[in-house]
Amino acid sequence: MERLIEILEDIKPDVDYSSCETLIDSHILESLDIISLIAELEDEYDITIPAIEIIPDNFNSAERIMKMIERLQEEY
Amino acid sequence: MDLASLLLAESGSEMTSFFSLTFLFVFLPVCLIVYAAVPKAAKKYILLLASFVFFWLVSGVLIIYLILTVISVFLFGKWLDNIQTKMRSELAKTEKEKRKALKQQYVKKQRAVLLFAVILHIGLLLALKYSGFFAENFNSLLWILNTPLKIPVPKLMMPIGISFFTLQAVSYITDVYHGLIKADRSILRIALFMSFFPQIVEGPICRYSQTADQLWNAEQIKYKNLTYGLQRILYGMMKKIVIADRLDPMIKAIFDEPNTYHGGIIFLGAVFYTVQLYMDFSGSMDAVMGIAEIFGVKMPENFQRPFFSKSVSEFWKRWHITLGTWFKDYIFYPVTSTKKMKNLTSSARKKLGNHYGPLVAGGIALFCVWLCNGLWHGSDWNYIFFGLYHFVMILAGNMIAPLSGKFFKKVGLDPNKTVYRVFQMIRTALFVVVGELFFRAKGLDVGFGLFGRIVTDYSFDGLNNELLKKLTIDVQDFIIIGITLLIVFAVSLLNEKGVCIRDVIAKKNIALRWCIFYALIMFIVIFGAYGFGYIPVDPMYANF
Repeated sequence: MERLIEILEDIKPDVDYSSCETLIDSHILESLDIISLIAELEDEYDITIPAIEIIPDNFNSAERIMKMIERLQEEY
Repeated sequence: MDLASLLLAESGSEMTSFFSLTFLFVFLPVCLIVYAAVPKAAKKYILLLASFVFFWLVSGVLIIYLILTVISVFLFGKWLDNIQTKMRSELAKTEKEKRKALKQQYVKKQRAVLLFAVILHIGLLLALKYSGFFAENFNSLLWILNTPLKIPVPKLMMPIGISFFTLQAVSYITDVYHGLIKADRSILRIALFMSFFPQIVEGPICRYSQTADQLWNAEQIKYKNLTYGLQRILYGMMKKIVIADRLDPMIKAIFDEPNTYHGGIIFLGAVFYTVQLYMDFSGSMDAVMGIAEIFGVKMPENFQRPFFSKSVSEFWKRWHITLGTWFKDYIFYPVTSTKKMKNLTSSARKKLGNHYGPLVAGGIALFCVWLCNGLWHGSDWNYIFFGLYHFVMILAGNMIAPLSGKFFKKVGLDPNKTVYRVFQMIRTALFVVVGELFFRAKGLDVGFGLFGRIVTDYSFDGLNNELLKKLTIDVQDFIIIGITLLIVFAVSLLNEKGVCIRDVIAKKNIALRWCIFYALIMFIVIFGAYGFGYIPVDPMYANF
């Protein structure tokens, strides 16, 4: 989780990622941030994130992102 | 239009508008009465029947396109589902090490089916919408090359709403492919999802997961839904009949004679056209939402007060939202999610940083989105220009953002101050008006001519009562439009602050509630653009 928050802070600083649960709904992470984040996550966690996973529910909080990563790691 | 003529196919084009008397006082009440009268189990079939009758009345024999689309969507869904079922059963029997390769085989099969479905549906849309455009441009090319050849320009009949229901069809098949939804085993439920009569003319473009179950579970009409729905229909009617239709003759006069007026008047024409388009489209959407609400169906919103936007990018997140999200989900993210694009993002981020890095792949995807957006709106160069204009504006906005942030810090300006936010809203509105000028112009060359006149001949010379008479509008019209726009602005402002007007009205006592209701009806009856010589204006997005 710590590494994920580091990645998020690198992409978009000054956000409290440990508590925010509306990263997409509140437009904190915009589409360009998502593109960066996906490229970073794929490199870091050796996963493939297909377009279909890009839904608010998967990206609204650091916890949700982590859950998606773990699920994709299991799948592939 | 009399009742008997309603029974004849292709004679009911007046029904295209939800504010036509035929629709409001014949079709809709009959639907509601029959829907309320039949038992719960039969209600969904009434909705389905009403939807196909409606489509037949507005499109006649072209209903065949809708029927074939429904059958195709159903079969493609079933085909994909069969492959997925077989894959799951095979995977369960296979050793863990071999599963990945086996899964890949089935994914390949599914991808081929998806590709076939997309080519078929989008191909049909392209053929119907653009074959004439491509043939004309091909002939122009032959003429430039001095070739004495000409290919025939096809003129194909296109059913109303095909641009909307085709996108719903593609989203359904794609969502089944991705496993987001299960393929529907009931062709009738798919038929209702595809054809629900309030939405088929102008959207919103719904996902299967958003409306299919709601429609199929057709509930009894509830008092709250009825009153809330009727209020929303009336509000939409006010926007459309009092503002949009009243502006229509003047806008037609200006854009039909592009060489007649000075730049200042053309600019006013473009501003009024933008207002008309918003009031027409969002007013029609209010009617769609209201009608659906009466049947207990909650549709996705298509507008979220777009003129409060502080950038062009934000504007398009608030205007025609369901089209924007469709393009985002089915074009933008799939393009940026390809292996090449991901690699491009990774390498560009290392060289250009966090902001400009993803902008490279994002820009390519954005170009695809806006090219498709322009083409979706129509088959002419001015629509393509309209799309690419917005691509440039949004890309430029993204490129300038970090620089403007630095600038504000340097000069000590707070970008969150109300004055600056209002300035941003006006600036965004002006950019939108320029885009709409090209959108409305009859051809790209005419659009440039009009824009050129605004820039080089910005004068209001000749703007007098005589000109207003020629434009078939008078000061009284402007007063009515102005007052109605103020009402819409006040409602929008309250909505923007999170106040739901209908909830506020519902809490008032019954006398006041009905007074508001009657006042709105009287306002529309008295100030609506009816009267001698008035031709009902078709919903503007119905032809896209």
